[in-house]
Amino acid sequence: MAHAPSVLDAKGKDLRETSTELKAMLAKNSVVVKNASHLHGLCGGLKSGEITIEGSTGDYVAVVNSGADIRIAGDAGKYVGDNMTAGTVIVEGNADYGAAQYCYGGTAVIKGNAGDFTATMNKGATIVIGGDVGAEAATYMVGGDVIILGNAGENLGNYLIRGNIYVNGDWASLGHNCAAGDVDADDVRKLETLLKEYGIGADAKGFRKITPVSDKPFYSH
Amino acid sequence: MSTVGAFCVTLHEDKCINSRMPGKCATCVEICPYGVYGLNGDNRVVVQNYNACVGCRLCAEFCPENAIRINPAESELVSRYPWTLGTIEEIHHKALTGGYGLRGFGTMGGPTPHFDGIVVVPSQLASPAPRDKYREECNLEVVIGEDTCEKPIKLQYPFLFPAMSYGALSREAKLSLAIAAAKTGILTNTGEGGVVEEEPYYANGYEKPDRKRKIWEPGGYLVVQWSTGRWGVSADYLNAGDAVEVKIGQGAKPGMGGHLLGDKVTEDIATIRGIPVGSDALSPCRYYDVVGPEDIKKQVEFLRDITNYQKPILMKLGPSRPYEDVKAAALAGVDAISIDGLVGGTGCSPEVVTQGVGIPTIALIGPAARALKDLGLHRKVKLFALGGMRNGLDAYKAMAMGADGVGFGTAAEIAMGCRGCMACHQGNCPYGITSQNPKMRERLDPDEIGQRLANFINASAEELKILTMLSGHSDVTELSEEDLRALDVNTAAITGLKLVGYERPLPWWENGHAK
Repeated sequence: MAHAPSVLDAKGKDLRETSTELKAMLAKNSVVVKNASHLHGLCGGLKSGEITIEGSTGDYVAVVNSGADIRIAGDAGKYVGDNMTAGTVIVEGNADYGAAQYCYGGTAVIKGNAGDFTATMNKGATIVIGGDVGAEAATYMVGGDVIILGNAGENLGNYLIRGNIYVNGDWASLGHNCAAGDVDADDVRKLETLLKEYGIGADAKGFRKITPVSDKPFYSH
Repeated sequence: MSTVGAFCVTLHEDKCINSRMPGKCATCVEICPYGVYGLNGDNRVVVQNYNACVGCRLCAEFCPENAIRINPAESELVSRYPWTLGTIEEIHHKALTGGYGLRGFGTMGGPTPHFDGIVVVPSQLASPAPRDKYREECNLEVVIGEDTCEKPIKLQYPFLFPAMSYGALSREAKLSLAIAAAKTGILTNTGEGGVVEEEPYYANGYEKPDRKRKIWEPGGYLVVQWSTGRWGVSADYLNAGDAVEVKIGQGAKPGMGGHLLGDKVTEDIATIRGIPVGSDALSPCRYYDVVGPEDIKKQVEFLRDITNYQKPILMKLGPSRPYEDVKAAALAGVDAISIDGLVGGTGCSPEVVTQGVGIPTIALIGPAARALKDLGLHRKVKLFALGGMRNGLDAYKAMAMGADGVGFGTAAEIAMGCRGCMACHQGNCPYGITSQNPKMRERLDPDEIGQRLANFINASAEELKILTMLSGHSDVTELSEEDLRALDVNTAAITGLKLVGYERPLPWWENGHAK
């Protein structure tokens, strides 16, 4: 097995061609993908492998990731890491609208800022945003952890049912069924490990924690 | 005082206290302000004036032995509309609880135009002669994704079971549908609640399944649904089926997401969906990860990629603007489109939405087929009509109007044993179809009920065959609007079909379009 990663130049190729080539390369080695900003849904449904995408990307990159480790060296388009069940998705730059929605598991780390509707319907994944996050983040979250290093927009955690939202900065407003509190020793340990692992410099004690008031927040019929 | 009795009053003497012990109870006599009841010389209760009854049912409510029944002598739709007992009950429910009405099943009653206003035109001399059902062949097969996928699906009959989730239905009901689908060669659909472990196995036609073995291999006739709640979706899930359906909406509650009330969220269902036990699963009304038609197109592309370009991608639409919606769906690049009508069923929906939101099925099919024709995709992108299909006759009519096939949802539930009590949302289905209660579920044997469903599908397919052949065709794809006539002006007006007797479409219809 070769040590240096294989390089896939996606210039002029469509999703099917790129994906076929990528899967063949991944069977042998880790892969670096270049010139893929025109492709939407790249690296979809992968169960293993290490991929670095250079430059910025299109939408739905790493959709339904089921075990691969995917790093985007630039900025990510809309819905990066959508519906992940396992693996990691790391964005070195910023992420557009709707990053890491519908995730069941795995870890998504966006080192820059993320847009509106980030981490919506999180069902068990760990999602870290290194910068600020837009409005409606972590809407209808039913499990997992969302960690925000910067500030959050309006309606954070709306209809929170289960899981934790940790915020280091401020939020514009909290959504329905959210209660803000302080982090405890377990939280601090968890956050310290995570921040260290992904090379993010922040004081884990400085976070506040948002948890659900009830796990049945809907109107009772 | 009324002179013609609108209600039938029945007093069950074997239950009535007074008939056993005269003089001991006369609650009904005391309570009725209209003198319906009286006491005779022996202190026995008698119904002395049937015609006076106004149907308030107060006597029945207060009778300590439940010995009185009041039934309308004629339809209350006629006698009390718009203040029917259903309406009165609904207002009382809101006044007492502050909550709006929810129920299962689907649209009922009312003036919704349906297939009954349409008749089939048989062949005689002026058209190709009828074909002999007993001695000649007729093709009912439909292939989905023939030119676009590496593994197209060949349906033996142009039918499918529409999406009904695990959660809304019991595990046993889901398996019955999978068994029937494999037996008859039609599609079954996971719905939005994830896949039941054995479902792909049954849908692949294994007769003696090993229930302990976990099967993630594709079956034969299983559609896995990609929906707005994305419950239980993973790469394995998407590859567990033979096709993926992108759900945009449904007939019973278009513009809203799935409703699964907490009473039906058991441990197994909570695990699959990733929610706490007993918590309502109220799916989003739209995809959080779609902000325009371009995004839906991208979703179809990556779903093809994740399933290795092998499997058809379907799309399900609610009844809104059929021409524009079907056009957008076809342009997103799907292989088949299901369009669900107002009459479409549900496990749970707000009553006002089920009853009053959407377009009737018969008014959807024409515009939907026209959208595909205008794109040059009719019969290539398959069109399935859903919503209130009851038999081979409804299927024939939908297909002659331009559909390639139909879905049997509510009819399938009825074939499983449902009696239409409309309380699917409560989770106490006495037949174990829409219940998660183990006591109810054990009443449903998937093998037995799977066979019943298969019988229903086979019989309906035979009906479709009879009608296709008596109208001079040997293939269901040959059916056209010329094979149908509208019985009334309203049906002719909304469908563009020729009106019986008049033998032409109504004047404002020209070349299949309303002027």
